[in-house]
Amino acid sequence: MSATPDDVRTADNPAAASAGDASAEYDHLVQSEYEHGFVTQIESDTLPPGLDESVIATISQRKGEPQWMLDWRLAAYRKWLEMPTPEWAAVHHPPIDFQAVSYFSAPKRKELKSLDEVDPLLLETYEKLGIPIEEQKALAGVAVDAVFDSVSVATTFREKLAEAGVIFCSISEAVQEYPELVQKHLGTVVPQTDNFYAGLNSAVFTDGTFVYVPKNTRCPMELSTYFRINEAKTGQFERTLIVADEGSYVSYLEGCTAPQRDENQLHAAVVELIAMDNAEIKYSTVQNWYPGDEEGRGGIYNFVTKRGDCRGVNSKISWTQVETGSAITWKYPSCILRGDNSVGEFYSVAVTKGRQQADTGTKMIHLGRNTSSTIVSKGISAQHGIQSYRGLVRIAAKAEGARNHTQCDSLLIGDKCAANTFPYIEVKNPGAKMEHEATTSKISDDQLFYCRSRGLSEEDAVSMIVNGFCKEVFNELPMEFAVEAQKLLSISLEGAVG
Amino acid sequence: MTAAALNTQAPTGKAATPALTPAQTSAHTQAQALDGWLPERATDGQDPAWVETLRSAAAERARALGLPTRKNEGWRYTGLQALLQQGFAPVSEALEALQPEDIEDLLLPDLDAYRVVMVNGYFAPALSALDGLPNGVVLGGLHTTLTETPDLLADSLGEVAGDGAHLFSALNTATLSDGMVLLAERGVLLDKPVELLHLSVGTESPGVAQPRHLVRLGEGARGTLIERYASLGDATYCNNALIELDLGHDSVLEHRRLQLESPNAFHVSGVYLRQGTSSRYDAINIGLGGRWARTDIITRFAGEHAECDLQGLYLAGDGQLIDYHLDVRHALPHCSSRENFKGIVHGKGKAVFDGLVYVARDAQQTDAAMSNRNLLLSQNAEIDTKPQLEIYADDVKCSHGTTVGQIEPEMLFYLRSRGIAEGLARRMLCLGFAGEIIGALGIEPLAEHVSEVVGQRLEHAPL
Repeated sequence: MSATPDDVRTADNPAAASAGDASAEYDHLVQSEYEHGFVTQIESDTLPPGLDESVIATISQRKGEPQWMLDWRLAAYRKWLEMPTPEWAAVHHPPIDFQAVSYFSAPKRKELKSLDEVDPLLLETYEKLGIPIEEQKALAGVAVDAVFDSVSVATTFREKLAEAGVIFCSISEAVQEYPELVQKHLGTVVPQTDNFYAGLNSAVFTDGTFVYVPKNTRCPMELSTYFRINEAKTGQFERTLIVADEGSYVSYLEGCTAPQRDENQLHAAVVELIAMDNAEIKYSTVQNWYPGDEEGRGGIYNFVTKRGDCRGVNSKISWTQVETGSAITWKYPSCILRGDNSVGEFYSVAVTKGRQQADTGTKMIHLGRNTSSTIVSKGISAQHGIQSYRGLVRIAAKAEGARNHTQCDSLLIGDKCAANTFPYIEVKNPGAKMEHEATTSKISDDQLFYCRSRGLSEEDAVSMIVNGFCKEVFNELPMEFAVEAQKLLSISLEGAVG
Repeated sequence: MTAAALNTQAPTGKAATPALTPAQTSAHTQAQALDGWLPERATDGQDPAWVETLRSAAAERARALGLPTRKNEGWRYTGLQALLQQGFAPVSEALEALQPEDIEDLLLPDLDAYRVVMVNGYFAPALSALDGLPNGVVLGGLHTTLTETPDLLADSLGEVAGDGAHLFSALNTATLSDGMVLLAERGVLLDKPVELLHLSVGTESPGVAQPRHLVRLGEGARGTLIERYASLGDATYCNNALIELDLGHDSVLEHRRLQLESPNAFHVSGVYLRQGTSSRYDAINIGLGGRWARTDIITRFAGEHAECDLQGLYLAGDGQLIDYHLDVRHALPHCSSRENFKGIVHGKGKAVFDGLVYVARDAQQTDAAMSNRNLLLSQNAEIDTKPQLEIYADDVKCSHGTTVGQIEPEMLFYLRSRGIAEGLARRMLCLGFAGEIIGALGIEPLAEHVSEVVGQRLEHAPL
């Protein structure tokens, strides 16, 4: 979007002009450097940029993968070559040169037996991020499979999980150790040809997480992976596969920060969730990747395919996301409600400011009987942010008694941002009940005035109102995340108000 | 690919390239199906140069656009297959055999209105009733006006619709020849409604009529337009109508549209609206008939403080497709719009609703509310709805709501516990659902007519 019309307008529009003054007040806050922007100096074993079949073969070989995995990657690559780049999303970016991306990067020292062997620099990085692994280990309840760039370097709490029979490891490890499980489920929810970026991911994914929860098991702790993109020019292609077998339960947390970089970094992850009969998966994300500088330069491109398959009866998949980072977010965590009585949920808070763009939403595909889904999407757009909710609710002819409730609200802060809503609703069953509502507004002057008359600063008042606006979603987050998310939201909106 | 197919000037060798897949080849032949809708020559040498330019530019655009496919967002749920299979050819001349007695059954008794009748897309003066028009009003056929006083149309015709929303609008402009013209000068109050009756009569080979209408209200003028689509018998034909509405400062137009075409009819219509400062447009669209019906309503504000109220009711039964596309663009501040559409889908019917409210960056203080509620009555019925908001200003009040559901079992139980048979109870509830829109029609004879047709439809519908 061009800035010129606004500049012209402020001159003859007093309201806009005063808004301009107010935002100038916060300029020092807006201009504050990205908190988590630092680069750790570690020698990396990185492939030169470029992509062809030999690169894929190299990736596969470095990871010591079996032949079937290589074949699968190559099949995906060949199909990807024929796919057009998607252009339907309401986001704008220069074309991506996929040959300029390096597809593999691994910290050099490997084969660690305990945390003591982990590169101290790495550990320090985590400490800077506020999640030292030692502390994490001590903190009951959270096991961390830390992904530093593309290779897992530290895995904790493995023993405790093993006791319960839960498999929690990196996907590369899973390919080696549980090939039958991986081969059986990989790509069954997000096929190689699903979309352009999923195709690319299938060909070159370098790491990610694999979780398997056996029958009738409640995972004893919340599982969490900390993603980090570190090496410049390295695309991060994560592949996460979570399988919850009959009657099991697992809660998975994903959180992200990335160091400041000038070049756009491509991230194309794929997450597949599979819930069998009576199983439940709860997947929570807090995403705070580098959004780029004031002009939107250098931020992360986050093109993610996330999909859950409620394969069994009474199964449940719940997505909760708080999206505050990335230059561009393109993400639609979806649920395929295949099993009868299965439940899909999507709770989302997305914040765009500066030049951030987010095209996000969900798909709820009702196939089974008495399936129900809930969508709550809260979008906050400030400064030049562009935000779109794009959602699909499809109720198939056989989905007797299907139920959907969708609510998407947008909050606009400032007169240069945008909020779009593009819901698609397709209903083929008369027994279905589907409701959709959406509103768009700004923070009301009355609310602000009330708070300010009680002695709150404008910033605090806005933060309070915004937190209230998002409360419905934050309530769905696990405890630690909820606190972090609220903090993140306040930090994100600092300086965006005026 | 389709563009090349429609473009007669494309190198002929192109179609023979082995690279074409079977799907592409069939699209190619289909595209030619609509090629015939374009006039052989854009000009007949009689009309003013600007009209000829308008036509030839539209013909060029039609060729460039090509046939929309399901990949085209506006046609995602509306396939053209059935329409193309009919091989419609343009109706080349007016049918003059009809006598006033022939259409008596189709008129609304008790409706006191000026009447313009179009037969297969051509103005039929013999069937129309234009006596006693107030001063300052021009009402008649487009062809006559173009021949006699073309300058009257110069600022509006083709200006409001512009390039149009899609291929069918371009085709209509490219063939622009006859239709209705209603021009009201500054301050004129139309004492009676104007009824525009589209009458379709079967022709030997199925034909497409492409009437083009223009309504322009001067400053402070007020009027009511009742636009009806009806047919004699169960003829197979296609209507591709386009109406341009140009509302001046402070003017008010009430627009009632009733589409009750034959069960074999194909219907495409475009309503293009330009609203001046403080003008008010109040429209109710009723879609009941036809086999395949697509309506686009496109609103543009040319002045501040304008109000646009769009309401609608559609009933899609066995084998029917009814599609409404709304596109309301708030480019200026202080305008308000309301969209309220309700639908009942039964049998193997399918309905599509696509509403877009766009608020441009400077359009502060916009107030827009969109609502689309649907009753899905049977197993094979389908509804695809897409209410969209695109908002680039912050001081706005915008909302949309959509529901799809069936008749509440509790309500049904209540009525049955009062001794009302299930079938009747269901009908009562459906009529109650539709009643909100029918009641808003305001013109008694029209409301009665619609209510009767809806009642009959529901009686025969397998609910």
